[in-house]
Amino acid sequence: MIVTTQKSLNEILDFISSYANILIVGCDGCTQPPRGLREAKTLGQLLELGGKLRNKTFVFKTTSVAKQCDDYLAASILKPQINGVEAVLSLACGIGAQTLAEVFPELPIFPTQNTHFMGAEEREAGILEVRCAGCGDCLLAVTGGICPVARCSKGLLNGACGGSKGGKCELDPERDCAWNLIYERLKKRAKLELLKEFRPPRDYQLSGWKVTV
Amino acid sequence: MSQQVNQNVVAVKQNEDYCSNCSICSSLCPYEALKKEAETGKIFLDIEKCQVCGLCYSSCPARAIDTLYYDLDSLISYLGKAKQEFDSDALVIMCKGSAPDFSGVEKLFGVSKFIPLMVPCVGRLPEEIYFNALLMGIEKINVLACDEDYCRYDRGSLVTGRKILALNLLLNQLGYGQEVITLKRHSLKVKVDANLCIACGNCVFYCPYNAAKLESPGGINFELTSCRGCGLCVAMCPAIALDLENWERERISTLITKLSLEMEPPKILVFRCQWAVFPPLNGGFSPNIRFIDLPCAARVDNFHILEAFLKGIDGVLIAACSEEDCKQEKVSGKAQHSIAALSKRLSQIGLQDRLHFCSVAPRYPEEFDKELEQFSQKIKAIGSKES
Repeated sequence: MIVTTQKSLNEILDFISSYANILIVGCDGCTQPPRGLREAKTLGQLLELGGKLRNKTFVFKTTSVAKQCDDYLAASILKPQINGVEAVLSLACGIGAQTLAEVFPELPIFPTQNTHFMGAEEREAGILEVRCAGCGDCLLAVTGGICPVARCSKGLLNGACGGSKGGKCELDPERDCAWNLIYERLKKRAKLELLKEFRPPRDYQLSGWKVTV
Repeated sequence: MSQQVNQNVVAVKQNEDYCSNCSICSSLCPYEALKKEAETGKIFLDIEKCQVCGLCYSSCPARAIDTLYYDLDSLISYLGKAKQEFDSDALVIMCKGSAPDFSGVEKLFGVSKFIPLMVPCVGRLPEEIYFNALLMGIEKINVLACDEDYCRYDRGSLVTGRKILALNLLLNQLGYGQEVITLKRHSLKVKVDANLCIACGNCVFYCPYNAAKLESPGGINFELTSCRGCGLCVAMCPAIALDLENWERERISTLITKLSLEMEPPKILVFRCQWAVFPPLNGGFSPNIRFIDLPCAARVDNFHILEAFLKGIDGVLIAACSEEDCKQEKVSGKAQHSIAALSKRLSQIGLQDRLHFCSVAPRYPEEFDKELEQFSQKIKAIGSKES
């Protein structure tokens, strides 16, 4: 899922300070933590409270789109609700917010989120961690299902480097060394010989910018 | 727990002068708070383990257990007043854990006018209260207990069932006719609005009872027999697709509006877990404080807290059980986490001091009173939002 964190309420209040009628659009897609209808309503309530303290009254409408990054879906759900709306707050990742800006080029669209990475959540701990870097050349088959491009601080294809210490990364002692994880996983599978294969530098063009369906 | 709380003030006491050490209480206590000491043969009460269900109080043949809440005297005095107020000869005794709204009671028992008596667990009522009710001229007694496996006090519902069976036999012999006391069981469960569900599976993670199942394809499906009505999934559903019978979002919203209008500033709204605080019958309250009882602190929805602030409430206090005392599967900890997250967001606009979460237990009645007093002082000091 795409991991986002919410911008500070004051930053969002600054975005919308010159508007009164605002549509808050949640996304039921992959944004994590969930940014659906509940989050849209919660944000509306918080901004209303924050607005009161600035002597500013807003009128918020809230809605949510199954996938905000889908222009067809976003248009079909939002067009009937856009009448009288002066500005739109998007709860989606940067992709969803850009899609809204394309669907409604004449309206100011503001992001409420900072988009971080493609990651997974460890639910009990409530921690979201990066998992995929979108490199366009998936290596997971030979790295025991652990991505070194995203999870090694240095993105090494032939690890570990000399800085792995007690299973942790030298750049951040809290962060697991991805190559140590890969080593342990392959050891468990009795596939350590995979590590003997040398990988040349990756082709950065594969990451790409466009794919035709 | 706050150090200043006087631990001598406890909700349940054992009077050793009366106790004959018969062990009925210790055999019924769901929490092993009452135990027979092997050496002396004496019954010993460990108040730290006690959850104040009242089963010992209602079943002690020697009246050697005293309780602060819903003892016989206060129940009788309530019934006397309530009989006049509600002007009916039908009594409906309800466990708070399973009581539907009053129109639901009407459907269950077919009575439109009745004297309501809500207690935390019907198992805590001694037989005498049934006799006293009949002596007062009440003709029909309806008892609403939780389903047996839903009972927050483990065997309160079971014990009530047996008690009523025996009482009916006895009353029949005395010539009162058959089934003077009607027992029904009911449990409040989650409701899903399939049109709103986005099949995200959040409820599957949060449900402590594995009642929520996400099928692909097919979406969310609740096994209602497993649902214990804590409301955690309802408060966590990102799509607002879930609701809880009797504690519906709309009902709580309407209640907040009503309470806010009748309060005087600085307005303090308290969301209480109904197992953490036992309100006194006929309890009076200060004009600036109102309470909303919920089936668990987990049902406290961020939406309702923010709504309360928007409707002019100056301070919101949440009274929950500690995680060890939680009558659900330790969900009060999740509630605390969620409130802490909201508090962080409120701090961005300077409102964090107006929200407070506390863990209290009915075994020490002063705990909640002290928390409320401290919070009231704090809100008074920062003043009303509106001024």
